[in-house]
Amino acid sequence: MPVTYELLRSVSADLYNRSLRKIPAETMAVLRKLELSESNPVARNTLAVMQASAQAAESKGFFVCSDAGVPVYSVKIGSRVQFEGPVKQAFVDGFADLVATIQPPLLQHVTNPLTLERGHSGKDMPIVTYDVIDNADYVEITCSPKALGSGRWAALEIFSFPSLAEIERYIMDVVIKAGAQHCPPVVIGVGIGGTFDYAAKIAKEAILRPHGTKNPEPILADMEARLCKAVNATGFGPMGTGGDSTAMAVHINYASGHGFTPVAVCFNCWINRRRSARIYNSGVVEQFE
Amino acid sequence: MINPKRLSLPLSRESVQALKAGDLVELSGEIVMTAGIPTHHRIIDYLRQGKPLPIDMTGGSLLHLGGLNQEGPDGKASVAYLNPTTSTRFNRFMPEIIRGLDLRVTGGKGGLDAECAAAMRATGCVYLSFLGGGCTLLSNALREVTTVAWPDLLIHYRLVKVRVESLGPATVGIDAHGNSLYGVGEARAHERLPSILKQLEEDRAAANSLVQRDL
Repeated sequence: MPVTYELLRSVSADLYNRSLRKIPAETMAVLRKLELSESNPVARNTLAVMQASAQAAESKGFFVCSDAGVPVYSVKIGSRVQFEGPVKQAFVDGFADLVATIQPPLLQHVTNPLTLERGHSGKDMPIVTYDVIDNADYVEITCSPKALGSGRWAALEIFSFPSLAEIERYIMDVVIKAGAQHCPPVVIGVGIGGTFDYAAKIAKEAILRPHGTKNPEPILADMEARLCKAVNATGFGPMGTGGDSTAMAVHINYASGHGFTPVAVCFNCWINRRRSARIYNSGVVEQFE
Repeated sequence: MINPKRLSLPLSRESVQALKAGDLVELSGEIVMTAGIPTHHRIIDYLRQGKPLPIDMTGGSLLHLGGLNQEGPDGKASVAYLNPTTSTRFNRFMPEIIRGLDLRVTGGKGGLDAECAAAMRATGCVYLSFLGGGCTLLSNALREVTTVAWPDLLIHYRLVKVRVESLGPATVGIDAHGNSLYGVGEARAHERLPSILKQLEEDRAAANSLVQRDL
């Protein structure tokens, strides 16, 4: 049995819808942990209100944030998957279905960057990137909507044979420039190496890595730990009003490249929206956070 | 959780002066909200031309909250949800608006810059930081939509006056005395950067992960 256009269309819409109403369980656990370790009383209160807000959204099935962002999907296609019908169009039509039916309705956030006109559709929307998983018989789709609040502060710079010290200094500069703006505590994704486009792609993959998973590359596992501590030493705190909790985690990916080394840094705000599904050739759909 | 100070709008200049950066508050009464840059342009055009705004905000509040307002079958407007938006993108407009409207309260998330804080100090105005991602909790405070102005604008850009009860909690991010948690936070981070970098260097050495790149 193939993975059908209809299934891709309905599942992609459903993932976006669900991502808006529930934050990942592990993110809730990190907020709780930070609340317990936070020394600033106002920051502690903000962390508690964040959890209350997320719980209220989940129990009422309501939006966590009014800014639903734009739909962003990462799609990994198993090499044994068979499709029936168009794939790219399924995401476009799924988003249109959601816009037409979702309650409460979505605000118009899809923006033409040339005219600044906004609506519910536009060129290359939804934003979908494709990858392949060898030998898998499923398609794995992750929806991670992106809005201005944290999307605005991502940055990329290209270095030539940088030392780790230079790379870490750049990450700290991006963190300090973002300051209070991205609804901290944030998850920070970093991509080092590859090419201009690939560094950004692996930074995004890093940000989606589940919390608490250890980086298999020892150099990066150490770097993640010391950078998380460094970011939290800045003192921006929850919602940027001061405190010890600015980062929930720093997740770093790398790729080999040439002597030019792009370093990409991106942020997910505290609600850390994401929702995934696997659709198997058999038609079975598994959803997860 | 800390019990916030309950504030009834409109606020007197004296009650605004009594608030300190870091205080937690909640608002009851009428607020005006928008999330649009074009709205700020238009407010400034009106102020410069001396034209009356469709909603009188003089001595009142203008908050950077984005929301979905809609008209029911009975023609009555409602707001389904609201949530703060990034205020810093309005930095260039706010000093003139704060002074021009003699605002007591502004807010949103992410703060405003030093020039805005100076305008707030001059008029006696506070900036309130609302929880980004607080849509469900904050929307519980909605009671009634009084006016939806400039319907030609995008839904969340419109100027909307709503009555709220216990909207919050919000943190006083900038008080009327020029104290800004954002200004302090930025200065503190820059000040700490040298010691943070030194610590990173020590941690790199300790982790023995310092890669020699003798290329």
